[in-house]
Amino acid sequence: MEKLGIEPSLLLAQIVNFAIIVVVLTKLLYTPILAMIAKRKKEIEEGLALSVRQREEEEKFGIRKEKLLADARKEARVILEDGKKQAKEAEHEILAAAHKEASEILEKAKAEAIATHEALSADIRAEAVGLASAMAKRLVASVLSPGDQHKLIAKHLTELEKNKTL
Amino acid sequence: MPHISLAAEIVTRIAGFPISNALITTWLVMGILIFASYMVTRRMSLVPSGAQSVAEMLVGGLYDFFASVTGKYVSQVFPLVASLFLFILIANWVGLLPGVGTIGFFHEVHGETVFTPLFRGATADLNTTLALALFAMGAIQYYGFKTAGVHYGKRFFNVGNPIYFFVGLLELISELSKVISFAFRLFGNIFAGEVLLAVIAFLMPFVVPLPFITMELFVGFIQALVFSMLTAVFLSVAVAHGEHEKHLAEGHA
Repeated sequence: MEKLGIEPSLLLAQIVNFAIIVVVLTKLLYTPILAMIAKRKKEIEEGLALSVRQREEEEKFGIRKEKLLADARKEARVILEDGKKQAKEAEHEILAAAHKEASEILEKAKAEAIATHEALSADIRAEAVGLASAMAKRLVASVLSPGDQHKLIAKHLTELEKNKTL
Repeated sequence: MPHISLAAEIVTRIAGFPISNALITTWLVMGILIFASYMVTRRMSLVPSGAQSVAEMLVGGLYDFFASVTGKYVSQVFPLVASLFLFILIANWVGLLPGVGTIGFFHEVHGETVFTPLFRGATADLNTTLALALFAMGAIQYYGFKTAGVHYGKRFFNVGNPIYFFVGLLELISELSKVISFAFRLFGNIFAGEVLLAVIAFLMPFVVPLPFITMELFVGFIQALVFSMLTAVFLSVAVAHGEHEKHLAEGHA
């Protein structure tokens, strides 16, 4: 044993040294590194699971989006159709009202024209009667004696009376 | 001729306790391992830097390697087998550094001038290798008893049957021989390598020792792997044997 160099105190010292190494390396090296590897593994697994979940949600969202878009397009088409229909109805109503108003204006204008025409005719007639009367007065005064004038007036009055009765 | 001694030289004594050059190198190896571990793990991040990546690759690789041998018991036995691997590896490689075996002092012993190196490869000393072997075998027995309780003892002491009793004795001798095998395999390989390097360096000091140093680096790695892997295998066998005995006992009950 002595020739091989085996010395019990050195043997014990080396056992203690190795025990210290095991304890210190466990605390300083293995535990933190294995914990870090496990943490990273967990984070990667969680990240992968999250990405799968997000992809599924994206797919679901895509389907929902397509459905919403289809609904919106359908609704827009309905609204457009309604709008067109309402616009056409409004156009018809406006046209009818315009026609009615135009015909009313026309009728009114016609009536006014007739009334104006009649008034003007009456004025012209009165003017003509007055003028004729004045001319007749002058002519009668220069041509007929007062007695003849009276006879002629009486004759005209009689004729007027006759025309009235007719 | 280079100085070659089978036993580690006593450099000094502190209160009667011998301090050998192999013990000094062991402290150096411990310092290297502890300092490196502290430096690597003091600022760890989820996205690893260079040194942290290397440490994670080494520890993670060792964990997976020993998991393939010990299975579900890896978390319990990993600190032991990984420490065996790292300690033996660094001790073997430190023994190859320039200055180990060459830096020392001369002193008079029985009227003769003797050279005593200050450093000697830690695993080139039987005290170290025997200590590691005893520690490993002690741990193997501890895990065996821890897993199967008293049933594990039936592996060595089984009086139910004369054949089993004889087999138990053989198992006991086998366990003791494992200690010797562990200790001398490691010591023999590393000591022989150092002697070889010393002789080559004495005969042809330039260039020629380089391939031998490379080979010794490889041998140092292989020996560390063999020691730790065999410990892992013996641990698995002990635990499996203990569990088998336990199941048998529970089956009979």
